[in-house]
Amino acid sequence: MIEVQGLTKYYGPHPAIMDVSFQVQAGEVVAFLGPNGAGKTTCMRILTGFMPATAGTATIAGFDIHDQSLEARRQIGYLPEHTALYRDMRVRQYLRYMGKLAGLGALQVRERMDNVLTRCGLVDRADQIIGTLSRGYRQRVGIAQTLIHDPQVLILDEPTIGLDPNQIREVRSLIKSLAGDHTVMLSTHILPEAQMTCERVIVINQGRVVAADTTSALTHRVKDAEMMMFRVSQDDPGIAGAVRSLQDVHAVRPVRGDKGAYQVETHVGCDCRPAVARAIVEGGWGLLELRPLEMSLEEVFVELTTDDEEAS
Amino acid sequence: MRNIWTIAQREMLGYFTSPMAYAAMLFMLGTCGLIFVLSTAQTGAKADMTGMFHSMVFLSLLMCPVITMGLLAQETNSGTYELLMTRPVRDAEVVVGKFLGAFGLYLAIVLISLEFALIFERFGQPDWGQILSGYIGLLLAGMAFLAVGVFTSSLTSNQIAAWLMGLILLLFFWLVGWIGTGATNLLGDIAKSLSSYENFGDLEKGVIASRSIIYFLSLIGFFLFLATRSLESRRTV
Repeated sequence: MIEVQGLTKYYGPHPAIMDVSFQVQAGEVVAFLGPNGAGKTTCMRILTGFMPATAGTATIAGFDIHDQSLEARRQIGYLPEHTALYRDMRVRQYLRYMGKLAGLGALQVRERMDNVLTRCGLVDRADQIIGTLSRGYRQRVGIAQTLIHDPQVLILDEPTIGLDPNQIREVRSLIKSLAGDHTVMLSTHILPEAQMTCERVIVINQGRVVAADTTSALTHRVKDAEMMMFRVSQDDPGIAGAVRSLQDVHAVRPVRGDKGAYQVETHVGCDCRPAVARAIVEGGWGLLELRPLEMSLEEVFVELTTDDEEAS
Repeated sequence: MRNIWTIAQREMLGYFTSPMAYAAMLFMLGTCGLIFVLSTAQTGAKADMTGMFHSMVFLSLLMCPVITMGLLAQETNSGTYELLMTRPVRDAEVVVGKFLGAFGLYLAIVLISLEFALIFERFGQPDWGQILSGYIGLLLAGMAFLAVGVFTSSLTSNQIAAWLMGLILLLFFWLVGWIGTGATNLLGDIAKSLSSYENFGDLEKGVIASRSIIYFLSLIGFFLFLATRSLESRRTV
């Protein structure tokens, strides 16, 4: 649905994005993840036809964003980073205007209106002036505006920024509900958000794509060892040695500041939990807890982005 | 074409739901009324609108940059510009739509002044041919002023800057003919034919000269073209 090939954009001599390539399949929800200033907004502005790339090509639903700009733009619903709305208009009026600009006739707008208002929870605010709406409702209007012409592709730039936790949850579940009907690409610098709402993550840093994969595969990719932790009731200096001597165990370290807790590093792909449990029980140290440690996407992210910094 | 109308409609709605339209109408009506009472509505005076056209066109010159200053500058400043420009709408459609929206308000303001022509009709024998010519001039000149304003509004995100640049450009075109006063050389002729003051002068006197009409139409086309180019160039920054 979205195909991006070697996209590069220079602001003066400084490249904002460099040779960015990726694909998004129809119906997918993909997160564009990166620290602030990584080039997420630049990339989205190019895709939505707001500005041209210095080099590279991209197609939206088969339409080239440069040569068939109007057609490509027709397929997109775009929510810019700072949702800016006409504050003097009423919600319904505004959605009608945006729908018409997207190429809908008056009749089509009327048909879509109720659906979009319901979906975004705006039915009882439809005739309110936008300037008097709260931040959360304005964000919903912003999202409603992306849906009014029922586009194939939704491009959402930081859709939850500046919202309170409840509103964030609402917006996330709204976005999730759009998957399937629409291809969604959203940018975020918040990792749990990417993990929660998206199947796939494209990590971008300093204008380059550093990874693109499913969240679980990404987690798997950067880890070179399985980790687990256990806790015992009777701490004993002999524990570390006993566990260390087991097969496939690389290292055992007591967790600093947490008496009786240990971290175990083992060979990738082997689950040593039964063996570790047996050793502790046999030693009579009183096993309280034993669990695998997942590397969070956060750690993956830090690893990917810092690696890149060192390389450049 | 439909996009142009959609955008023009929204701009007119914006004007008439804010105090802007009413303030501008009041300003025009009030000033014209004052001029009417002071100069024309005197015993023995001619039922002649030349003097009124003369002041109305200058009032338009002052008012048009105010009407247009927000058209694009405001959108840029508030960020709605990004959404507008990522809809499947051509840059030229945005420019012409905004221009026509502003013209809608201008038309309303100018039509109000027909009141004075009707008063003339009631109490005297006005020359309707001359009045028609004057109104054609007023509309053409106003459109040219608006086109200049649309252009300056496309240059900046600051409304005041857009207004000031518009006013300066308009005053330049208004006053440039003075260079040619008394001069008989080529430069003088060029200066005079560039002047909106000189070109409006014919129309207000009742002379519908193709020269003046072409002048104003060129001005409109030229500045709308520049505004479109300005939007295009903004994309490549």
